[in-house]
Amino acid sequence: MRTKVEFIRAETINQALQLLADNNKNTRILAGGTDIITGMRMKSKRFANIDLLLDINSINDLKGIRLLEDSVTIGSNVTFSEILENKIIQDKLPLLIQSASGIGNLQIRNRATVVGNFVNNAPCADSVPALLVYNAKLRIESLKGAREIALQDFLVKAYKTQIAPDELVTDIQIPLANDFCGTFYKLGRRQSVAISRISLAVLAKLSNHKIDEIRIASGAVTPIGKRFDDLEEFAIGKNAGKELFIELAQKMAQQILDVTGLRWSGFHKIPVLQQALYQLLLTTIEL
Amino acid sequence: MKNIEFTLNGFPMLVYVDPSLRLLDVLRNTLGLTGTKEGCDIGECGACTVLLNGKAVNSCLVLIGQVENQNVLTVEGLSSHGSLHPLQQKFLEYGAVQCGFCTPGMLLSAYALLQENPHPSEDEIKDAIAGNLCRCTGYKPIIDAITAYSR
Amino acid sequence: MNNFNIVGKNVIRQDGLEKVTGEAKFADDYSFPNQLYSMMVRLSVAHANIKSIDYSSIENDPEIIIIDSRDIPGANYIGAIRQDQPIFADQKIRTYGDVVCMLVGSDPEKLELAGKQVKINFETLPTLTDPLKSLKKDAPLIHEQYKDNLIVHYPLRKGDIEKGFSECDHILEQTYTTPFIEHGYIEPEAVIALLREGNKGVHIIGSIQNPHTTQKVVATVLGWPLAKVRIQQAELGGSFGGKDDTMNILSARAAVAALKTKRPVKIRYSREESILESYKRHPYTMHYKVGYNNDGKLIAMKIDILADGGAYASMSPFVTWRTVVQATGPYEIENVWTDVRAVYTNNPYTGAMRGFGSPQPIFAQESIMDEIAIRLDISPDTVRRINGFKTGSVTASGQKLHDHDVNLITVMDRAIQESGFQEKWKLFKSQKPEFGIAPDRDDLILKKDEFIDPDKTVYKGIGLAVSFRGSSLGAEGIDTAAAYLSVQADGSAYLLCGLAENGQGLRTTFSIIAAEVLGISVDDIFYLDHDTSVIPDSGPTVASRSTVMGGGAVKNAAEKVRTALQKFLTEKWELSENDELLFAGNKVSCKRKNKQIGFSELCGLARNKGVNLAALGWYAGPQVDWEEETGQGDAYFTYVYGCQVAEVSVNISTGQVAIDRIVAVHDPGTVINKVGAEGQVFGGVTQGAGYGLWEEISTHQGMPRELNFDEYLVPTSKDIGKIVPIFVQGKEKYGPWGAKSLGEPTLELTAAALANAIRNAIGKRFYNLPLNLEEIILQRKLRKEDLQRGSM
Repeated sequence: MRTKVEFIRAETINQALQLLADNNKNTRILAGGTDIITGMRMKSKRFANIDLLLDINSINDLKGIRLLEDSVTIGSNVTFSEILENKIIQDKLPLLIQSASGIGNLQIRNRATVVGNFVNNAPCADSVPALLVYNAKLRIESLKGAREIALQDFLVKAYKTQIAPDELVTDIQIPLANDFCGTFYKLGRRQSVAISRISLAVLAKLSNHKIDEIRIASGAVTPIGKRFDDLEEFAIGKNAGKELFIELAQKMAQQILDVTGLRWSGFHKIPVLQQALYQLLLTTIEL
Repeated sequence: MKNIEFTLNGFPMLVYVDPSLRLLDVLRNTLGLTGTKEGCDIGECGACTVLLNGKAVNSCLVLIGQVENQNVLTVEGLSSHGSLHPLQQKFLEYGAVQCGFCTPGMLLSAYALLQENPHPSEDEIKDAIAGNLCRCTGYKPIIDAITAYSR
Repeated sequence: MNNFNIVGKNVIRQDGLEKVTGEAKFADDYSFPNQLYSMMVRLSVAHANIKSIDYSSIENDPEIIIIDSRDIPGANYIGAIRQDQPIFADQKIRTYGDVVCMLVGSDPEKLELAGKQVKINFETLPTLTDPLKSLKKDAPLIHEQYKDNLIVHYPLRKGDIEKGFSECDHILEQTYTTPFIEHGYIEPEAVIALLREGNKGVHIIGSIQNPHTTQKVVATVLGWPLAKVRIQQAELGGSFGGKDDTMNILSARAAVAALKTKRPVKIRYSREESILESYKRHPYTMHYKVGYNNDGKLIAMKIDILADGGAYASMSPFVTWRTVVQATGPYEIENVWTDVRAVYTNNPYTGAMRGFGSPQPIFAQESIMDEIAIRLDISPDTVRRINGFKTGSVTASGQKLHDHDVNLITVMDRAIQESGFQEKWKLFKSQKPEFGIAPDRDDLILKKDEFIDPDKTVYKGIGLAVSFRGSSLGAEGIDTAAAYLSVQADGSAYLLCGLAENGQGLRTTFSIIAAEVLGISVDDIFYLDHDTSVIPDSGPTVASRSTVMGGGAVKNAAEKVRTALQKFLTEKWELSENDELLFAGNKVSCKRKNKQIGFSELCGLARNKGVNLAALGWYAGPQVDWEEETGQGDAYFTYVYGCQVAEVSVNISTGQVAIDRIVAVHDPGTVINKVGAEGQVFGGVTQGAGYGLWEEISTHQGMPRELNFDEYLVPTSKDIGKIVPIFVQGKEKYGPWGAKSLGEPTLELTAAALANAIRNAIGKRFYNLPLNLEEIILQRKLRKEDLQRGSM
């Protein structure tokens, strides 16, 4: 069952911003719609009282994936299927490919957008850990102007971000990490169409078997996708090897327990997360 | 309410509807095209799969307003002039149909795959239909039918 | 060996064409002018007394019609054995799915808003969700008319159980559990009721598994004669036993509403509503105590099974009866003591689902058989070979197996050979996985030596399971079926059987049988829509009985027509009584007289001479018997045998299980429809795998948590590796050319085979289905404390 909502398809960014600036309406941006349309149908509180659905799929300026000198820019109506098929991303951002390939099913990937994935900010949003380790930044526009913000800062808590009601995320900029090696990992209950139980992303740079820089992020085990700054700092300069990886896994588990407490799923997730991170580090980082 | 024009199964279509209606509801209720099925309403079962500009989508997750000037293909558009599309024929020959409720969506997912990739591997076929649940066939005859067509 | 023209060959489905074009009409695809929609009003509570219902804020709205128990002209309470389930709850709520009233109107959105305006004054009662607690003396009664919460108790007594235990070398006791399972048909329930003109009654079109059962229920609820209730089955989008009781009730509600409004009334369920209200497969708690000797011989088996019947009796008495007959598995044991009980709780009610009381005990019994083999250091097939049924074996219920090929060992040998079971089992058993995670621990931070390297994380295993299964209903009920065949003057024919198509393909199987008898092509058979007004009640499409029973009736009908044609030709060609006529290739010929005539021409001639080319075929199951007090008797007239071997890869650091290959060897008697039979294996094994690894409806104070396919996880195309179907076609004197049952045997073995394969891979025995991520790592289930959706 639906409640009556208005639907408008914006043709330009400016038109979208104009509509978003109207304070009298509770407007929701509709990109892929895979979260919003289901959420509205399920009468989820997050999607209650929407007056206007603002479809941004026809805005050409939000389409497209561009390779710049040291980053890749992805427009906010780019779908996961477009990510997966894109040569630039295949070459430059393998973790994004790995995370995108496990999202939902093909029908979902054909609609859902990578920007929508983190604007919705579900705990299990698969692209978030990958984007976090790439240090992704967003460009957000409103009639008042544009701003840039790191994804990590943009995500506030589960299903909550820094976006203001009059704002539109126009694109995401992902700095290249050419001299890093890395992998994305996902554990689901089924082989496909599985909501993540655990997701992990790791990027690392080594010299002389020592960690120069490492970036670690998780999904589905904390209220939102999360980077582990302390762990990353701890690892710098240390010898890459089983000992370090075990220590990192243990520390990550401890941090998660500190953040979330012991949840119902923790008896499984916390030990398995440690195994998964340990194994991921071992397979990602050539010793 | 709004006039919305789009291409449906190769023909121009004009509907006067609330643009926030789901494509699935417009197909089934407004246009009487009941080949597209409703199974879960949340994009998990794939029974409502149609092609939007050649891509498989869940019509329960697309609003009719989003379809304006786009191209939609439903199961009713697969066979032409009364003769089955060869893929439909393969579904029959290989026992890919049991109760038949997932069949329209399954056919469209397979059709979209074969348009982009005429000779898919078994894994590519499985991936293309992973969003179409079937409770009868265990998928095997469906995969065989798609494989047979691609050869 | 029969020399068949069509039987056993690849034939395209009767209903295939309309299904691939999207023309096939499922229940929700029907719409009628002036049709009204409906909305169910429920209380969010598992157990409560209804004190009053306040409709004041909607009762004056002319666009909303309220339907509740007061509108029911006949009986409000229905049920196959116990009439304990209300069409509309009037005194009590006994489970979350219960419906207090139904609002009907032309605008579904308005109905939904109106539903919230119905104010129900109620008093909550203690909620019973644990069957054991339901059985306690002081437990609150869920149905006050019965003295306790026990739905049924089946004892089975054979030999001297205590003597058996005292004389055997070893005793092994284990307890196994299984969860609620949702059928997961992809088509949710839908039905439309239309009043017919004058005194003709009501016409119901719906996603109905058993039209004749629905007819009986609707007639009872309306207080009408059966003949005034015409049930037409729409194309059925899967059922697996699941569109029986629920659809009977929905049909009755729609009929009552149509009667009140004089307009067509449609009920269509969302997935959530479907899972909430429809019945499930029974959760079982199964305690097995087995006495056996050093040589592997089973001496005594004591079985105590408790089934959660949920809020209503439904099919529990039938489901648990099959359990008591088959609970020992296909093993000859001198001393058996079995008790199977089903009890009421405030959980979702449980009833028929593919397998019907067999997947649960097979999981327990086949797990324990492997444990016995492991303890005796013999191979799993050896312990089964020693104890398994052979010709002349006597079952737990005292039935001697003869009159058919008792092919248990044959199917097992075939599966072993195909899978290389013996070598692989020994090899994988010698693996010694190091476990990093202890099942129960306070400190969740792993110790250094608990970390597992990537190359030591995945282990392969192989496991087998065998079963015997009674064909058709057995002593559960009247076992007869009818079929109508009307051959036209040009040789084309209408066919309809009283057993309804469930999607599995019985139309095709029956068409093959008729075509084989008449020597015509399947394309000449036109299968009619199922309608209770044109075909006799043939019992339900359940118990894998369609081919054996319906097939028998179709063959009988076709033989009647053939006999009429033979008689006509004998006169026409002046044949003697001993002359053989061959019906094949759309021709009828007599070799001796060197005569031949086209089937079509023959029908034209016969018709012109006034020969009746229509027939009603009938097939009655042979006599079976059952002694309630001791559980002894010839429970079923024949049995089928199966063996499945599963190969898996188990990840010991995550708990993931990948299914690499399943070899499924079944003896369904003669295979009539090859594509259909293989389809049953692929589909049944896949459902069985879901049962083994992923699927469960868990409840929170009686409320199901998994209400849609995001959380109720049925297998996708990527979840199952290879499935290899193999048929051993044993001799059988009943059924059409000795064809019997297949649909359920294919499902019932898979979970057990998977559990044994996982045991083989990692050396751990699992007692509680499903064997999901948490179970594999922790050997227990983890549950959310609330009903929140999502993964955290």
